Amino acid sequence: MNADKLRECFSRSLGISPERVTDDLAYNTLKEWDSVGHMALVVEIEGAFDVMFDTNDILGMSTVAKAREILTRYGVSFDAA
Amino acid sequence: MLLEGRVALITGASRGIGAAIARAFAAQGATLLLCARGEGVETLAQELTQKQRPARAMRGDLSDPAFTRDLVASARKEHGRVDVLVNNAGILRQGLIGMTTVDQMRELWNVNVLAVMTLTQYAIRVMDPKRSPSIVNLASIAGTEGMEGVTAYSASKAAVVGYTLSTAKELAPKGIRVNAIAPGFIDTEMVRGVTADWYERRIQSIRMGRIGTPEDVAGVAVFLASDLARYVTGQVIGVDGGMMS
Repeated sequence: MNADKLRECFSRSLGISPERVTDDLAYNTLKEWDSVGHMALVVEIEGAFDVMFDTNDILGMSTVAKAREILTRYGVSFDAA
Repeated sequence: MLLEGRVALITGASRGIGAAIARAFAAQGATLLLCARGEGVETLAQELTQKQRPARAMRGDLSDPAFTRDLVASARKEHGRVDVLVNNAGILRQGLIGMTTVDQMRELWNVNVLAVMTLTQYAIRVMDPKRSPSIVNLASIAGTEGMEGVTAYSASKAAVVGYTLSTAKELAPKGIRVNAIAPGFIDTEMVRGVTADWYERRIQSIRMGRIGTPEDVAGVAVFLASDLARYVTGQVIGVDGGMMS
């Protein structure tokens, strides 16, 4: 459930199809995920999961997998239902 | 009303300039989230809620990044956004160049500079460009002109000026305006703690012949927060009665 929600966050904020949101999708490897897209992504994820990231976490959110790992530290569970 | 429907976060709101800004914002229709370390902020929030506009208080230490994060998270949870951020909280420590300890320098820097930076970082993430967001930072004439006897304080306020000018440039394309107010000598508890001699010399240096009031500063804050200043960003406005630093 939360994995889908995270995928939607990437898709919506970066304007890419959900199929392109894979674990290894990385910052700056597609034109949509540049520094401007990154801030839009952060705002989208923060709103969706009701969290506020520390700046270090924003800088460290370099892949989809990393985003999941960081969210886990904020108490978001990605265990399969 | 100039701030009708705006959600404003004001730091250092328990007394002095911060409390005056809170009252002025409430009178102009803003919904408020007030924060302060000390007592009094809850009483002010209750008073404004009963008489004018909804206001909520949060007590905490802005030099703790976790508190600044909670503050903005709370605003987002309650209102979905912040429209106006007033970075007012600050401390004053007197000290000649050779008489200022490193601990005093750090304390000044943590509250007057780092807290402004971290709170701004969080707040801009919950600002909506379509709602004409605005940030108002409280600098000081000591930071723009320099002032003997408060060297570390002056340095911290000069940093606020630099931060204001730079963030204004970076945030203008996102529709967020950033300006600063540089008060001169204002009648608050903060300046009542200075030595009598220093106080007297400051009063004598004011061309308009009187000490400023917190309300003198609050009026400019309302202007900068409102759409009257919709094309104003990256400015440092002195509110000092023609004071010679």
